Amino acid sequence: MGNSKLYKGSLNTIILKLLEEKGKMYGYEITQKVKELTKGELKITEGALYPALHKLEAEGLLDVEVAKVDNRLRKYYKLTEAGEKETVNRLAELEEFIRSMQNLVNPKWSIE
Amino acid sequence: MKLTKEQIEELYAFTRKHYVVHYDLQTELVDHLSNGIEEQWQQNPNLSFDNALGVEFKKFGVFGFMDVVEKRQKAMNKRYRKILFRFVKEWFQLPKLLTTIAIFMGFFLVLHLKQASYVLMGSILILVAVDFYHQFKRRKKEKKQKQKKEKLFMLEAMIGDTRNGFSVITFSNVFNIVNTMRFNFSDLHSYWLALIAIAATLLCLTFYITSYVMPSKAKELLEETYPEYNLI
Repeated sequence: MGNSKLYKGSLNTIILKLLEEKGKMYGYEITQKVKELTKGELKITEGALYPALHKLEAEGLLDVEVAKVDNRLRKYYKLTEAGEKETVNRLAELEEFIRSMQNLVNPKWSIE
Repeated sequence: MKLTKEQIEELYAFTRKHYVVHYDLQTELVDHLSNGIEEQWQQNPNLSFDNALGVEFKKFGVFGFMDVVEKRQKAMNKRYRKILFRFVKEWFQLPKLLTTIAIFMGFFLVLHLKQASYVLMGSILILVAVDFYHQFKRRKKEKKQKQKKEKLFMLEAMIGDTRNGFSVITFSNVFNIVNTMRFNFSDLHSYWLALIAIAATLLCLTFYITSYVMPSKAKELLEETYPEYNLI
């Protein structure tokens, strides 16, 4: 929890990656899934998740679908075609970042 | 245990009380809160609805929904601009391009006249008068419909607000600028006149699109943006 700042910059990428795997998801499901995957280490706060989703939607990376579930409307998010391409880019970027970080933090792990 | 219809309604009222004005965002938050409450009930079925709601709401932090609302507005502004740009682009393609060129030439030629500022001020006055008349007629019509409508979508509000604000504010500003400067446009170099004519043409197009084209296509635009628009 204390190091959640480190995750913050990657929130968009995490969302894209999850949607790539699961197809379509709704907001609450995303928060739960992230909690489950990181064993509670990373808790996406509600105040951060929805703005991120809305921003990705406005950028045309996500598309929405609405279905009626138990007396209420549920909004599902899924990747658009542009979103799929962007996911690949951002994951590559993130991996690159992780690699540089490893080199910085522990030079012994460097490939050279 | 699932939430009842009444409890869902209570959640809508709760979001309204916490300054979530628009139905699209209310709906998303209501579903989120519902999921959270139902999850809590699975672990502790005796928990009261109000207590469970309190716990869920706290997760949004001290500012509640404010941050979500603000960022949502920002994202929606972006979408609005994108839609506007899509329409503006049409005016730079045939056949509408001819009209655009005609408007530009009109401005360009008028600016060369000695009395340019008077012609411009006169045109602005006429435009504002015509626009006021249209708005007046439209508002009268809308008043009748409004009583039924309480589910307002954010983009819907934006299309309406821009329509209401644009003409009066923008044109009275332009009018004042022209009036105070009493500028002799014809003294300027043609390059400057062309630049002013381009700006004026763009202003006219934006005004026409936001005030007439987008409101008239509001239904299609809303259906395109909100899949739930036809569900309610």
